[in-house]
Amino acid sequence: MTRFGELLRVLASGGVDFVVVGGVAAAAHGSPRSTQDLDIVYARQDENLRKIAATLAPYHPYLRGAPPKLPFRLDFETLRAGPNFTLVTDLGWLDLFGEISGAGGYDDLAAHSIAVDVFGIRCKVVALDDLILAKRATGRLRDLETVAELEILRERARRPFQ
Amino acid sequence: MSTRSLPRSSIDDIIDLYKRDVDVTLIDAALQRTVEERIRALEEFERFREELRDATERRRDAVR
Repeated sequence: MTRFGELLRVLASGGVDFVVVGGVAAAAHGSPRSTQDLDIVYARQDENLRKIAATLAPYHPYLRGAPPKLPFRLDFETLRAGPNFTLVTDLGWLDLFGEISGAGGYDDLAAHSIAVDVFGIRCKVVALDDLILAKRATGRLRDLETVAELEILRERARRPFQ
Repeated sequence: MSTRSLPRSSIDDIIDLYKRDVDVTLIDAALQRTVEERIRALEEFERFREELRDATERRRDAVR
């Protein structure tokens, strides 16, 4: 089980620059749809990569679904070598994205994001419009179902963040 | 950025079809909660799903 609140707290406490996207962001906006992982888009600057590596190291990040004992280390060099990582950690499933199709990278998303105070920390959640753009861009039918829900949500939400 | 600025396409027709099946009562219930409560609800559902899966597996093993 993914401990969403604890993962958010750990990342924020480590000073990591990130924006919550995906299912948790949809839930934060008011979607009743479930998810099993925490998806974030993170800043690709070297300093942030070092923070991610140091912050997650105690929670043993490993490639989700990979055979055990591969020589994988989520260190600065590994993060620098590629933008996207699908991880399992001691706190659950965490997906790191350098950018998302249709909506962009950290700077693009952070500019429109919504700051929310949850679990004793403040974190950025992707704007509903950007989340819809990203879901549309995948071209997957199940994501279009989510878009339908998010568009209705946008119409009904007067104050999505309380 | 707004999806309203995108030109309409057949994708929008599919989305409109899906909208007919969206349960707005679930959305309205979620909107009554705080953001933290919404995220906690995800965790609670995950916990329930794991418990259910474990119980099903135990039952399946007992039947074998």
